[in-house]
Amino acid sequence: MTKQSMSKVEAHLARRYAREKRFRFYGLLSVFVGFAFLVVLFTSIISKGYTAFQQTYIQLDVTYDADILGLYDNPTESDWLYANYDGLIKAALRERFPEVTSRSEKRELYKLVSSGAKFSVRDSLDNNEELLGTTATLWVLADDDLDSVLKGHIDRTLPEADRRVKDQHLVWIDSLVENGEVEKRFNTVFFTHSASAEPEQAGVWGAIKGSFFTLIVTLVLSFPVGVAAAVYLEEFAPQNRWTDLIEVNINNLAAVPSIVFGLLGLAVFLNFMGLPRSAPLVGGLVLTLMTLPTIIISSRAALKAVPPSIREAALGMGASRMQTIFHHVLPLAMPGMLTGTIIGMAQALGESAPLLMIGMVAFVAEVPQGITDPATVLPVQIFQWADLPERGFVERTSAAIMVLLAFLIAMNAFAVYLRKRFERRW
Amino acid sequence: MNSASQTATLDQTAPAYQEDRVKVTEGVDDSHVTVGEAMLDNAKMSMRDVHVHYGDTHAIKGISLDIAPNEVMAMIGPSGCGKSTFLRCLNRMNDTIDICRVNGKIQLDDQDIYDSNLDVVALRARVGMVFQKPNPFPKSIYDNVAYGPRIHGLASNKAELDDIVENSLTKSGLWDEVKDRLDTPGTGLSGGQQQRLCIARAIAVSPEVILMDEPCSALDPIATAKIEELIGELSENFTIAIVTHSMQQAARVSQRTAYFHLGKLIEVGETSAIFTNPQHKLTEDYITGRFG
Repeated sequence: MTKQSMSKVEAHLARRYAREKRFRFYGLLSVFVGFAFLVVLFTSIISKGYTAFQQTYIQLDVTYDADILGLYDNPTESDWLYANYDGLIKAALRERFPEVTSRSEKRELYKLVSSGAKFSVRDSLDNNEELLGTTATLWVLADDDLDSVLKGHIDRTLPEADRRVKDQHLVWIDSLVENGEVEKRFNTVFFTHSASAEPEQAGVWGAIKGSFFTLIVTLVLSFPVGVAAAVYLEEFAPQNRWTDLIEVNINNLAAVPSIVFGLLGLAVFLNFMGLPRSAPLVGGLVLTLMTLPTIIISSRAALKAVPPSIREAALGMGASRMQTIFHHVLPLAMPGMLTGTIIGMAQALGESAPLLMIGMVAFVAEVPQGITDPATVLPVQIFQWADLPERGFVERTSAAIMVLLAFLIAMNAFAVYLRKRFERRW
Repeated sequence: MNSASQTATLDQTAPAYQEDRVKVTEGVDDSHVTVGEAMLDNAKMSMRDVHVHYGDTHAIKGISLDIAPNEVMAMIGPSGCGKSTFLRCLNRMNDTIDICRVNGKIQLDDQDIYDSNLDVVALRARVGMVFQKPNPFPKSIYDNVAYGPRIHGLASNKAELDDIVENSLTKSGLWDEVKDRLDTPGTGLSGGQQQRLCIARAIAVSPEVILMDEPCSALDPIATAKIEELIGELSENFTIAIVTHSMQQAARVSQRTAYFHLGKLIEVGETSAIFTNPQHKLTEDYITGRFG
C-alpha cells in the first residue's frame, strides 16, 4: 500500500472509531436515562409509601362498665355483639382529658380514636363476664389524622383554617405524646383488612385475594388454551389464507386496548351470560381474553425456536407427529412458554381498565372467599385510593403500589429462574 | 484418459452420451437417460421415474434407481443436484415439507411406500435415517437409543430394552466409551460420538435400510474414519444409502455409486468403475475435480 492510501485509511479509521464511540455513548446514555427514571419512580413511591407500614396506636385505660355497655344479667351472644363498646372508649377519653367539658369539644375529642377501635375493645373483653367492672390498659387504633400528625404529614405552621387538624387536637396529641401514650407499630391492619372508608382501617388483603382469584381463573383458562392454540397453529395447521388470517388477528388482538376487552366482557359475560357482577370469575375471563394473544405469540415463538433437527430426528425414528411434539418439541419449548405465560400473568395482574367495566371497581369491604364473591383487585384498589382526599390514603396508595410491584418483581424473577433452570443448550 | 477406449466400452443404454460430451457446461437436458446399470433384479429398494417438485421448482427430474440388499449405495454430485432430496424421499421425510410433491414409484421390497394404505410411521421404522448434523435428543444416552424401541414397543421389559441399547451401542462402536455414563446427556458427547449415537439410535429399531445424509460432513477426519469403518460393518446387516460430498469417502465405503447432476441421475455403476472409468463426461469432470 502506498503512503498516500495508508494515510487515507488511517483517516477513515479514525472516523470509524469515533462513530463507534458515539454509538456506545448513546447506548450508555439511554440506559442511564431509563435507570434514572426508574430510580425516581421507586424513590417517590417508597418515600411516600413507607410510612404506611406503621400505624399509630393510643393507650387508653378502658373500664369495662356494664352500664355503658348496656349489658345486664345473662347477656346473650347478640347482646355481646352489639354492646356499646364505643361508649367505653369515649368514657376512657373523657377520663384521660377531664378538662374537656363542652359537648362540641367532646365530640372533637372522640375523633382522636379510630371508629374501628371498638372492635379491639370487643376482642379484648372476649365475651368474658368476669372482666366486667375491671379496668384494662389497651392500645387502640388512632384516627388517621392523629397518625398523619405524628408522621409529620400535616404542616402545623399553616393557619388553623387551612389544616385538617384543629389546634385543640394538636394540644391533646402533644399531651398524649409527652406521656408516651401513643406508639407507632407495624401496620398489620394494612395486610389483613379489606377496603374501608377510614384510612387507618383500610388494607390490601381483600384486593390481594381478589387479584389471586382473578389470576387463578386467568391462568387455568389461558395457559392450556393458549398452548393448545399455539401448538395447533405452529405444528398442525396447514399454511393457507385462513391460518394467515388467524395469525394476523391474534397479533392484532395483542395490541387491542384492554378496555375493549372489558366492554366485551360486560356485553358477553354479564349482560348475555348473566354471570355475577364484580366477581373474580368474570375478571379472570376478561383477562384471559387479554392474555391469550400474548401467550399464543410467545408459545409459538418458543415452538419455532426448537431446532428442526430435533423434529427430523424424532420423525426419522418413526415417531408420529403427535409423539414428536409431545416427547421432544413441547418439553424443549416449555421454558419459553412458561416465561411468556408468567409475563402475560404479570400483565394481567397490573391491569385495571377492563376490570372497571365489569364492576370490579365496586367498594368491597368484605374479603372475597371464592371466585364468585364480589371483589376488587390491587391495581383497581390503587386507582380507588388515589382518588380519596385523606392524607392517610396517599401513603396507603403508595404502599399498595409497592405491594403490587413486589408481586410483579417476584413473578418476573420466577420467570427468569424458570428460563435459566430449564433452558437447554446444544 | 483415452476417450476412444471409453467410447468402445460405452453402455448401449446411453445414447445421449456423445451429445453431452459436446455441451457439457450447459448441463444435461431432460431427455437424458442414466448411464450404467440403474435397475437390478434383486432390489431392496427400487425407484421408478421419481419426480420431486418444491413449489414451482423441479428438483428431481425423473430418476430411476435400484438399491441392492446389503449394499452401500453412495450418492454423489455437486451441491443442489438433488441427492439429499432424493434420499429423503426414501423414507418420506419430504412429507413434512408442505410445498414438496413427490411423483413416481418408490418400492421397498415390492411395496409402494407412497401407497395411501402404508403407514409412514411403520415405514420409518424400516427405513432409518442419520442426518448431516449429529442431532441426538437432549436426553440421556440411554434414552436416545431406547427412544425408538419404546415408541415402537419393541421391548417388553426393562431387561430387553437394556439389551437393545447395549447391542445398538456396541454395533455403533460406542459402548465401551459410554457404558459408564449412559445417564449423561447425549448432547455432551463429542461430535463424532454424537453421530455414532445417532447411528445407534437408528439401528436400535432394527431397520432394513439406513439412509445417511452426509453423516461425516460435520466431523473431523478421525471421527470420519470411525464412521466409515462402521458403515462397512453395518452393511453386513443393513442396506445403506449414503449421500456424501467427499468422493474419497464414496470410494472407500460404497459398492455402487450414483452421480447426480441438476436433478438428473447421470451415471450409476460399481464404485470402482465409476471412479476409475466414468462413462459420462459430467461424471468424469466431477470426479476429476473440474467442477462441483
